[in-house]
Amino acid sequence: MTDEPLLAIENLSVALPKGGDRQFAVENVSLAVRRNEIVCLVGESGSGKSITAHAVLRLLPPGLDVAAGAIRFKDMDLARADEGTMRALRGGPISMIFQEPLSALNPLTRVGQQIGEAISTHAGAKLSRAELDARVIDLIAAVGLPDPPALARSYPFQLSGGQRQRIMIAIAMANEPALLLADEPTTALDVTTQKQILGLVRRLQAERGMGVLFITHDFGVVADIADRVVVMRNGCVVEQGTVAEVLRAPKNEYTKALIAAVPGGRPAAMRSHALGSDPLLEARGLNKVFTSRQGAFRPVRRVPAVQDVALTLRPRETVAVVGESGSGKSTLARMIMRLIEPDAGAIDFDGVDFLKLRGVQLRAIRRKVQIVFQDPFAALDPRQKVGEAIARGPITYGTPPVEAIAEAKRLLARVGLKESAYERYPHEFSGGQRQRICIARAIALKPLVLVADEAVSALDVSVQQHILELLAELREEMNMAMLFITHDLRVASEIADRIVVMRCGEIVEQGETQSVFGAPQHAYTRELLEAIPGRSLFGRPHEPSVNICFA
Amino acid sequence: MSVVAITRYGGRLSAYVLGIASGAVKIIGVILVIATFNFILVHAAPGDPAQVIAGQSGAADETLLRQVRSAYGLDQPYLVQLASSLKKTLTLDLGYSYRQQRTVLSLLLERLPATLLLTGTAFILSLVLGTALGTIAGTRAGKWSDTFFTIVSLLLYALPVFWLGLMLVLLFSVQLNWLPPFGYVTVGVEMTTWQRIADIAWHMVLPTLSLAAVYLAIYARLMRSSIIEVKQQDFIKTARAKGVTESRIVMHHLLRNAILPVITVAGMQAGGVVGGAVVVETVFAWPGLGRLIYDAVLQRDYPVMQGIFLVMSVVVIGLNLLTEAVYRMVDPRISVRSVT
Repeated sequence: MTDEPLLAIENLSVALPKGGDRQFAVENVSLAVRRNEIVCLVGESGSGKSITAHAVLRLLPPGLDVAAGAIRFKDMDLARADEGTMRALRGGPISMIFQEPLSALNPLTRVGQQIGEAISTHAGAKLSRAELDARVIDLIAAVGLPDPPALARSYPFQLSGGQRQRIMIAIAMANEPALLLADEPTTALDVTTQKQILGLVRRLQAERGMGVLFITHDFGVVADIADRVVVMRNGCVVEQGTVAEVLRAPKNEYTKALIAAVPGGRPAAMRSHALGSDPLLEARGLNKVFTSRQGAFRPVRRVPAVQDVALTLRPRETVAVVGESGSGKSTLARMIMRLIEPDAGAIDFDGVDFLKLRGVQLRAIRRKVQIVFQDPFAALDPRQKVGEAIARGPITYGTPPVEAIAEAKRLLARVGLKESAYERYPHEFSGGQRQRICIARAIALKPLVLVADEAVSALDVSVQQHILELLAELREEMNMAMLFITHDLRVASEIADRIVVMRCGEIVEQGETQSVFGAPQHAYTRELLEAIPGRSLFGRPHEPSVNICFA
Repeated sequence: MSVVAITRYGGRLSAYVLGIASGAVKIIGVILVIATFNFILVHAAPGDPAQVIAGQSGAADETLLRQVRSAYGLDQPYLVQLASSLKKTLTLDLGYSYRQQRTVLSLLLERLPATLLLTGTAFILSLVLGTALGTIAGTRAGKWSDTFFTIVSLLLYALPVFWLGLMLVLLFSVQLNWLPPFGYVTVGVEMTTWQRIADIAWHMVLPTLSLAAVYLAIYARLMRSSIIEVKQQDFIKTARAKGVTESRIVMHHLLRNAILPVITVAGMQAGGVVGGAVVVETVFAWPGLGRLIYDAVLQRDYPVMQGIFLVMSVVVIGLNLLTEAVYRMVDPRISVRSVT
């Protein structure tokens, strides 16, 4: 590590368009990235971390502009460089990778061509087709993908999330950059894939002596990858230092709060303690196969989503179903709600055979299972007042409108919003507030089972903590059982009484939270636990079960 | 998806051929359905079909009615009639027009090229120009050129085809005397092949513009909003982060992705263009199918109406298949379709 900074951001301010809630998206930010080091830029959504990185390449969204300060790279001030200079830098000496690798790749172009474009854009002399192909294949091999020639010919939709992110990294590495800007590159990935991608970034960085500005909201990731840390809040830097300084002895209150909010580190106060004994819901032998076909004359392709799954849920119990994307956990939840019809199996719910119900009987029992979805932005009708969204369910089931409206207002207050929120529309609320509205909507029908399908995955850690607490309180107050679908084992460890681990549509392990985390039986469970970011740093003496998993 | 699946996917060409084959099967199915409708049309016409047909030939005495009944198989049971009607359709025996004293097939074959020329040119013109204008407007959203093109396309969209046609004739033929007001070719003049082609092209300008205007406006509006949407997607940012020039971003990333909805709508509108030709051909006395059907409706010439109905349907299906083929070429994702 040399002391000369590769990138030095000095007192950078990025102005927001007039009329916003604040004047600057980023205000007076100073930070430096040296050669051969990884600097993590941490903060919640809206903290300005992503804007800072985009400002370096001057790829700011329309309406945002660098208002003051300097961005020094080599001998240049990027805040003032002309467009031609910037274009030569982008994808050359400075490259960038993004959060969502599917949308970051052109869906209609083969990935090999997309890598090739990055090479040919910066090649001084025109490369021959063969030279270009050879370099593309070298790059695909360098990011650890198998069978590079076949991969080069494939389209983004044919690859998995991890493969796509590796392709993005190959594009970024095409011209041996000195500086890599990584904007939450693992946020959209499963834990095991995240671990691999973090390892890849680390390896490439060390091999090539790159400086990396790595943006994340996850302190676990910070612990695994960073040399230095910069914490941002509301557009300002609140703390920076080496990873050991910031994580082990944070000075700023906000940093402390953020680290404390990382799930998996708190005592298991949120677990339910007075479980009922008779099962409330018992599913047996559930199966679901999805079929798709590639044209009229092609055989139908069968994808088994859930195979022979059995699950019980006792009153007031929280069962977390964990697994990677494609493991069938969401399909299982939807079958239990009968949003998807199982191909085979039986579900006993509250003493009746749920799968046999039709028409009026089915409708009557539907209100007893409600769901909270992952994306609170998509889960609410943008043209419906939030109060109506909550009251509509009970009114449909025969509650007099006056009562339903009064109850909706009470529920809004219960989930921590003002009663006046009743008359407002979803877009007026933040992500966390919307998730509270979704919870109020779900509990308005007084369900016996609440399905939370990745209900906190899209939220910042501090908001996530509050929502988890709210869910745990409501479960106790309303005597609900909860089926908690998540890919985040840290969250599961906090709220669940029992853990069900799914892989490829099958349950590979299930048991009490303590025993699954403390003594995992299946190799896959151990693999998942080992992939949890930040295991090296978060040792929590007061929480035995989690202590084992993070030790 | 694994690498194994990708290598298996190598047979893109065969998927393409299979796509076309399944399209051909669909075409034949649809043609049979249309022929069935044609059959119902004759039987649903007011009165005895034999009288309708015989009436067209000028006389309706008992002998002629019997002859007509036996010639058209109208004395057979309905299902037998339907089967023979379908068989005739498949063997391109479309009947005889008593009004025109010719077989319907020869009439159609004579008129079809003019219609295909007019509608094809208008279709391609509206697609190319509309896409281009939409791209300019979309990439410059909010600027004056965008506002200008938006106003122009709204105007074109709002104008009725026949009115626009008449106004174009008034301006360019009557006032300025630049372009011929009607017809397909100048009559009674000796011409070389090239002169004749130029002459037809000259005659085509006004009808093509009238027909293309409204579709041009639709495609321009659609392309504009599609460009604005695609422009905000992450892969455009990726291209910028690679250092790719703006012009290459537009040509290689923006256009191809943004044109997908335009292709879909163009396929659906293809029928509209053929339908619009009826009005334009009438206004400009263009000797095509549109003009023929206009005359046939006025004269209650059922065999001709049936023939045109069939041919236009086939043209529309053909254009739809073409759209699907183009879509398959542009979008590699289309070959996977979910059935549940």
